[in-house]
Amino acid sequence: MSMSERKLTPDLFRPASVDTGKSEEISKPSLSFWQDAFRRLKKNKAAMLGLFAIVFIILFSLVAPTLSKYGMDDQELMRANLPPKIPGLEKIGFLGVNGVDIRGVDQYEMKNVPANQEFWFGTDPLGRDQWTRIWKGTQISLYIAFLAATIDLIVGVVYGGISAFYGGRTDDIMQRFVEILYGIPNLVVIILFIIILDPGILSITLALVITGWIGMSRIVRAQILSLKNREFVLASKTLGSSNGRLISKHLLPNTLGAIIITSTFTIPGAIFFEAFLSFIGLGIQPPTASLGALISDGFKSLRIYPHLAIYPASIMCVLMISFNLLGDGLRDALDPKMRR
Amino acid sequence: MLRYIAKRVFSMFLTLLIIATITFFLMKLLPGSPFNNQEKLTESQRFALNEKYGLNDPVPVQYINYLGKLAQGDLGYTFQYDGRTVNSMISNGIGPSATIGAEAILFGTLIGLILGIAAALKHNSVIDYGAMVVAVFGIAIPSFVFAGLLQYYVGVKLGWLPVAFWNGPEYHILPAFSLSVGVIATVARFMRTEMLEILGTDYILMARSKGISKNAVILKHCVRNSMIPIITILGPLSIGLITGTLVIENIFAIPGLGEQFVKSINLNDYPVIMGTTLFYSFLLITIILVVDILYGIIDPRIRVAGGKS
Repeated sequence: MSMSERKLTPDLFRPASVDTGKSEEISKPSLSFWQDAFRRLKKNKAAMLGLFAIVFIILFSLVAPTLSKYGMDDQELMRANLPPKIPGLEKIGFLGVNGVDIRGVDQYEMKNVPANQEFWFGTDPLGRDQWTRIWKGTQISLYIAFLAATIDLIVGVVYGGISAFYGGRTDDIMQRFVEILYGIPNLVVIILFIIILDPGILSITLALVITGWIGMSRIVRAQILSLKNREFVLASKTLGSSNGRLISKHLLPNTLGAIIITSTFTIPGAIFFEAFLSFIGLGIQPPTASLGALISDGFKSLRIYPHLAIYPASIMCVLMISFNLLGDGLRDALDPKMRR
Repeated sequence: MLRYIAKRVFSMFLTLLIIATITFFLMKLLPGSPFNNQEKLTESQRFALNEKYGLNDPVPVQYINYLGKLAQGDLGYTFQYDGRTVNSMISNGIGPSATIGAEAILFGTLIGLILGIAAALKHNSVIDYGAMVVAVFGIAIPSFVFAGLLQYYVGVKLGWLPVAFWNGPEYHILPAFSLSVGVIATVARFMRTEMLEILGTDYILMARSKGISKNAVILKHCVRNSMIPIITILGPLSIGLITGTLVIENIFAIPGLGEQFVKSINLNDYPVIMGTTLFYSFLLITIILVVDILYGIIDPRIRVAGGKS
């Protein structure tokens, strides 16, 4: 009621000063596209978790084999099939790392393993240290991941880029070639390589080189096809830019988001492919072992020695899930329209 | 449309011809002959065997003969058993493989659709998050790990279902389910996104404002329109399933095509390797072609020829 009693007189008002210079002022620091994308990525907890897990696994796979006294293929039948034992963590029962197997027998005591010998992930039927073998196997999976990404980036981007940029006849011929390659299942390619070259890392590498980049080349082609008719490219062309400048300054930076997203999804695919081949015995050959081969060996004695399968399988799953989560996060961060 | 189909079928046969040529010459380059394992053969016996299988002819003649037979659908004889054709081996193996494949894709699509629809309708709820966690795990966890775990827990520990082999309907459940996990995950994710997008469109609002009940709108408008993109992913999914059957058949000891294929590689049984390779390629290319054509028929908005990449 006090409000209504009070009269508002014109002399209570005065014009606000308008500073035309200030209205255009930017109060926040401007973010480039990449800073903005990174900010969005950082907000995505699942993706960051995936990123940390990947970094952790990479570092560990490099460092971990040196932490163990045992090499990849140091056999000693006297210490075969030992369950995991980690000094210091033995007292914590539920971790199951006290050297006691699933029947409750302390295998280390039974087999008279010297007190200074501990196997953090146990040993396999030939007495080889699983810790070393698993982390070396992880290295192979990561090598495949790195390889797949590199092939994607080099062959896929260049092929798709050239095909779209030059268009016309070049595009026609290059796309017919891709269609033929696309029709050949990569399983068939790898099997042909295995037949000529023997199974191993080389045949897997070659098979990936031949088939791995097709998805990427198609995506880059589609992106560049739609970009090259846009006004900003025309403007740049009118100003006399060379083809090289058009590609490196305008087309590629605008495709980079799609490229990164695609390669984060190619990577888990390639890791799976290698593990799958090793699992059916067409991949990495003994004495080297990859995660897929270790899981396959472990499943043979899953009922008696579950530790042989469980550790490599968990690392495999964590790696795959992390790459998928990071891929999802990157896609949301780099291309909010494409959210799936 | 007809022209497009004709063009695609032509390029399909071209691809097959290239694959056949490559496999044929690779096999010829290989060291060793399939009879070397049987060490007790005399020179004349070996010659007679080579003569029987046409291996004494010059390579170009063998190639022409091979293509001629191929055109009639004859894939030749296996070296493993006397007098058995590759065709009969493939037709023996395809039964179990196709059965689990079909079961996996039907079951997987159905469950995936339900999960995806539920997640979209209850957007940002527990159901949504739950479904998406299932989807991420389903995509990320390799089918062989999943199959091994199922075999161990359901088959061995609980003893509910048979661990392996192929003797009746209950033997289908574990392999088909482990194969379908990837399908469930992929379909669920796609369906959720599509549904969310369509739920936000104007024609859904329009349908609701005309007084059509919520259920009818969801079933007749949302779900039907969201299903269209699902068809495109069925192609890549079936390819994944074919790769998957190789492992799953190995784990569950199912006498299918995949198991035979792996075996023939280890035995240097060229005709079976070539035949199965061609058969797989034929299958894959046909699936991709059918999916592309279906897509054009179902969704007239998309012209296949210039369609999405």
